[in-house]
Amino acid sequence: MTGLWRTLALPLAVLTGIVVAMEIAKAAGALPITVPAPSQIAAVAPAQAADLWYHAVGTLRSALLGYAAAALCALALASVALGRPTTERPILSLGVLIDCVPLIALAPIFVIWIGQGPALHVTIAAISAFFPLLLGTVQGLKATDSNARELFHVIAATRWQRLRLLALPSALPYLFAALKIAAPLALLGALIAEWMGSERGLGAMITYALFSFNVPVVWLTILTVCALSAAAYGLIALAERRIVRWAPTGGVGHG
Amino acid sequence: MTGIVIEEVCKRFALDKGEVEALRDITLSLPAGSFTALIGPSGCGKSTLLRLIADVFPPTSGAILIDGKPPATARRAREIGFVFQDPTLLPWRSVIDNVRLPAEVAGVTPERDPLALITMVGLAGFEQARPSQLSGGMQQRVAIARALSMNPKVLLMDEPFGALDEITRQKMNLELLDIWRKTGTTAVLVTHSISEAVFMADTVVVLSAHPGRVSQVIGIDLPRPRRLDLLQDARFNAHENAVRAALFGDAMTVPA
Repeated sequence: MTGLWRTLALPLAVLTGIVVAMEIAKAAGALPITVPAPSQIAAVAPAQAADLWYHAVGTLRSALLGYAAAALCALALASVALGRPTTERPILSLGVLIDCVPLIALAPIFVIWIGQGPALHVTIAAISAFFPLLLGTVQGLKATDSNARELFHVIAATRWQRLRLLALPSALPYLFAALKIAAPLALLGALIAEWMGSERGLGAMITYALFSFNVPVVWLTILTVCALSAAAYGLIALAERRIVRWAPTGGVGHG
Repeated sequence: MTGIVIEEVCKRFALDKGEVEALRDITLSLPAGSFTALIGPSGCGKSTLLRLIADVFPPTSGAILIDGKPPATARRAREIGFVFQDPTLLPWRSVIDNVRLPAEVAGVTPERDPLALITMVGLAGFEQARPSQLSGGMQQRVAIARALSMNPKVLLMDEPFGALDEITRQKMNLELLDIWRKTGTTAVLVTHSISEAVFMADTVVVLSAHPGRVSQVIGIDLPRPRRLDLLQDARFNAHENAVRAALFGDAMTVPA
């Protein structure tokens, strides 16, 4: 517990400092009308709690489904690419291409194709999270030590045994790095899709608050998204620490 | 015949531009249960020769037989134990699970008891340790135990103690000789230490580089079991000098 406190102490102190500074700045009239004091945001929070929960669950569900779909696609494509340079290059190029398309411009086109329902939110979330997951999986599956590959050859391991006993465990640190990067991206993707016009979701909530010029609620929603992203990242980091217990610096053969 | 027979083996590797000849016309006969050291300058293909015996890749021409069988057959029959220069342990597995790996892959119970093997290599009590908790020398012991777990007919070692300090290395060599005597396996050791080659082997094969060829085969008729006081023996020094002469040839008499 003391270790946890030690890691949290500095970020908490910085956060408190910022809150206090903003409060003072607002009271002194130094902040524009579009930036409320932290106390103003806190004041609207209780009344908004039910709405916030309703919309957050919607966003989380879309993001989670998109995230899972992107991870499965990435794993499938990476397995196909594994060990075959002829397929690896086109698959990675496809990933780069998907990553380069501006989602904010792509989303309206998807609205025309699949409508404005939850399917759109899941799809955009998946596209948003896809590339880091693909790259991480491909690199991870390639990250086996060449001696270890020879070892598995000498002990006559099958292709499946090599994947299960060597490639997947070697890939785990890369997979977790990709999962950590992709989680906030999936949330962002869901949010962008909800912006396109939706009944439910934090993206929709931000839009409503913006149009009614309810500045504290806009900021409350933004802070909620930040908290959700940070929580998703933290959960995956926690799982990583649980699962990847071997020395993080030394891979196979460098222990 | 039993043991390892290598007949007119050549190995060429394709490069981006053309190809490189790693080994040319290697012919050797290593009797069953013998201990052979391969020594030579870097680039002489000694590691390549070891990998040809282990069927990591096939020779370009020529043939290798392990107890009358091609290396691929011997490999699939789990008759080859290989020790790399790096320990090459799986860091997410405990010591005992690393030793069990070959049997697990084969889908059988280990031919030699993993616990007894770990004790034999001097790591009793470390069965559940992670590789990262062990020193380099201890990790290499685990690698040796793993290589022996299926009771292989041939034990191939690619500079296994090259990364260790002199004192640990000497100690490991003595233990390796002891293990070899107990198991009766045919051992091939790649090294670039002249004294290590002479100390360990029945036969020292001296290779020359570009392309790798057998320049001389030197029999070491020193008594076994070998002990450290042998290092000061005149016969030991004479063998060392013979290997050194084969390695450096004319360069020894010509001023640099």
